[in-house]
Amino acid sequence: MPDPRVERLAEVAVSYSTAVRPGDLVIVDSGPAGAPLVREIYKRVLAAGGHPLVHISVDATQEALMREGSDAQLGFLSPARVEEIESADVRIVIEADENTRTLAAVEPARQALVKRARKPLGDRLFERSAAGELRWLVTLYPTHAAAQDAGMALADYEDFVYRAGMLDRDDPVSAWREFGERLDRVAAWLDTKDELHVVAEGTDLRLRVGGRRWVPSRGLENFPDGEVFTGPVETSVEGTVRCSFPAAYQGRIVEDVEVRFEGGEVVATEASRGRDFLDEMLAVDDGARRMGEFAFGLNDSITAFTLNTLFDEKIGGTMHFALGKSYPETGGLNGSALHWDLVCDLREGSEVYADGELVYRDGRFLDGLF
Amino acid sequence: MIDARVERLAELVISYSLELGEGQIVRIDGFDVASPLAVALYRTALAAGAHPYTNLTLDGLQELLVANGTEEQLAYVSPSQWGEIEAIDAQVTIWSETNTRSFGGLDERRHGALIAAQRKLSNRRWERIAAGELRWCGTLHPTNAHAQDADMSLRDYEAFFFGACHADTPDPAAHWRSLSATLGARAESLAAVRELRILGPDTDLRVGVGGRTWMAADGKYNLPDGEVFTSPVESETEGEIRFTFPAIFGGREVEDVRLRFEGGRVVAAEASRGEPYLRELLDLDGGARVLGEVAFGLNYEIDRFTRNILLDEKIGGTMHLALGAGFAQAGGTNTSALHWDLICDLRAEGEVLADGELVWKDGAFVAPLPVAVGERA
Repeated sequence: MPDPRVERLAEVAVSYSTAVRPGDLVIVDSGPAGAPLVREIYKRVLAAGGHPLVHISVDATQEALMREGSDAQLGFLSPARVEEIESADVRIVIEADENTRTLAAVEPARQALVKRARKPLGDRLFERSAAGELRWLVTLYPTHAAAQDAGMALADYEDFVYRAGMLDRDDPVSAWREFGERLDRVAAWLDTKDELHVVAEGTDLRLRVGGRRWVPSRGLENFPDGEVFTGPVETSVEGTVRCSFPAAYQGRIVEDVEVRFEGGEVVATEASRGRDFLDEMLAVDDGARRMGEFAFGLNDSITAFTLNTLFDEKIGGTMHFALGKSYPETGGLNGSALHWDLVCDLREGSEVYADGELVYRDGRFLDGLF
Repeated sequence: MIDARVERLAELVISYSLELGEGQIVRIDGFDVASPLAVALYRTALAAGAHPYTNLTLDGLQELLVANGTEEQLAYVSPSQWGEIEAIDAQVTIWSETNTRSFGGLDERRHGALIAAQRKLSNRRWERIAAGELRWCGTLHPTNAHAQDADMSLRDYEAFFFGACHADTPDPAAHWRSLSATLGARAESLAAVRELRILGPDTDLRVGVGGRTWMAADGKYNLPDGEVFTSPVESETEGEIRFTFPAIFGGREVEDVRLRFEGGRVVAAEASRGEPYLRELLDLDGGARVLGEVAFGLNYEIDRFTRNILLDEKIGGTMHLALGAGFAQAGGTNTSALHWDLICDLRAEGEVLADGELVWKDGAFVAPLPVAVGERA
C-alpha cells in the first residue's frame, strides 16, 4: 500500500508541474530507492497519454567512473543522454540517495572535469526549457540517507518533505496555484527594482537586477518549491556574503563559506571546512566565479535546515545565490558548468534594501508584500 | 562483499564475449535487481578503456504499460532508443527478474503488441550485429525468482548458474575458448548433412538441413552457452515430435506439446495444458508454424530444467527446435515475430540419425571429435 502522499506527489508532478500531454516523451531518472514514486509517476504518465522511459542509476557506477576513469572516460558523454536531451518533452529527476557521500573521496579536479564535459548537456536542457520545448522537474523521494543528513528519523523526514510540498492537504494543486499567485506578485514587484543591498551578520552585498526578470518558482521545475529568483547583472556584484548554512555539493560539505565579490567576480573565499573543494569548483571555468542566480526563499512550510539544496534554498526567510550558470529565462548571461547554490539565513538580524528603501527585515518582506 | 563469481562473469563478458576495446561504447541493460552485475560490468569496461553506461529500469513497469497503455503507447519506440541502437558498439543484456510471472494476468494480445514494438529495435540490433558493427551478449543475474522457478534456494541456484558459466573457476575464458574449438569442430562435422531424423518417445521427425550452416554457440552471444544450431530448410520438416519439458513463452507455460509437421509446417498441435495459448502463438503470423531453428544442447554443467530458456536450451543431451524466425547467418529464411524454443529431452532415450547414420544416442554425439574438450566423454 503506497503512502497516499507519494501518490499525491506523483499526481502533482505529472498533472501540475510538468503537465504531461498525449504523445510526450517523459524521461524519468531515479536511484533504485525511488522506485515507489517512479511507479506512481509511470502510471500517471501513461494515463496522461505520455510515453514514460525510466532510467535507474546506481551510485556505484558514478563512483567507479570518478575514481577509476581515465580523462577520456571522465569526459565522455553517453549517447543516451545526448539523444534524450534533444528528444524528450519532459524530464523528471528524482533524488533518492542511499548515501549522500558516495563521491566524498573523489578528487575535486576529476569532478570538475566531468562537470565541464557535461556542460553542453546542461546548456541544451536549459535552452530547450527556455524555448518552451522541454519541461523539467527535480523532486525527491525520502530516503534514510536524506533523513540522516537532516538529522531526522525517516518517518519525521517524510512528514517534513510532504508538508513542504503541501501534499498533506486534500488538494495540493490548488494550494500550489494559490501560492504561485503570491509568488507572482513578489516577482512582479521585484521586477521594478534595480539595486539590492543585503545586510546581515558577516554580509554586506550589493547587486543590480534592473533589466533582469524575476521568476516565481511555483513548483513547476522544482518540487517542493517556493522562491523567486533572478540572474543579477554579471559585473554588478560587490561586497561580502557569509553563508550561515553548510553547503553540500556532490557529496562534499563546505561550512562557514564567506565569499567576497569585486566587479561581479569572486576575489576571495573562506570556509571552515571544504575550502579546497570550493576553490576547485570556482576554477571549473571563468563563469564559476560569477553569481548566476540571486533568490529569496519563501516556503514557510520549510523551516528546518536539512543539508539538501532542493529544500534549503526555499526555506522561508532565507536568500541564496548560485555561483556559476544563470537561467536564461531571467535574462542572465553567465555561462558555466557550475551552478552551486549557497544559502544564507536572514531570519534574524538582517535587512534588505531595494533602491535604497528598506523592503525586507528578519526574513520577511515588509508592508504585507508577501 | 562482492561475489567473486560476479566479477569473473563480468570479466568474461567484457573481454571474451564482447572483446571490448578502448574507446568503445557499451550499454548495460537490465532491471535494478541486476545492479551487482551491472556495476561489475561497468567497472570492468572502464578498466578496458571503454565508455560504459547503464540502462537500468525497474521491473513491473512494462506490466503497467501492458495493463493500462493505449495501442499507441504499446507500439511506441522513442527516438532516443533508436538513436542509441545506432550509437553503441556493444550491449549487454542482463535478464534478471523479480517475478517471472508478472505478465501472467495480462492480456496476451496487448503483451504481443509490446513485444512486436520492441522487436523493431532488436531487429535493427541484429542487423548491426550481422554487419559486424555491434557486439551483444545476454546473460543473467541470479535472483530468488529464477531460483524458485528452478525449485532451488538462491544459494544453490547461484552455484548452478555460475557453474554453467564456469565463473566458479579461476579462468572461465580458458574453458570457453576450449569449448569454442570443440563446438566449431562439431558444427563443421554437421555441415554436409542433408537430413536429421530425430527418434524418441512419440517422436519421429525428419528435418532438412542441407545447405545450411551450423553455428557454434560458444559464449559470445549468451552466457552460459553451449549448443550447435542451424535453421532448417523451411519446407522440409516432416513427422511428429513430443516435447517433454514445459514450453514457456512470455512467462506462460504450455505442457507436453505434441506437433505434427507436413511440408515444413505444423498441421496438428496439442498440449496437456495451455493448448489455447499454443494455438494462439502458432497463428501469430505466417511464419509461426515453420521451424526457424534446430539445435543440440551441449552444456553438460546444465543438467536440469529450470524454466529459463537461456539455460534450458543448452542442457547437455537435449535438442531444441524453435517455431518462428530463422537465423540469416545460418541460411534461414523464415520470418516471424515469434521465435519460440521448444526443448526435447533426449538424455534417457533418443537417437538422431544424420542421413541415415546414427550420430547421437542417449544425450551425446556418438562419434568422438578430434578435439573432445568440454564434451561429455
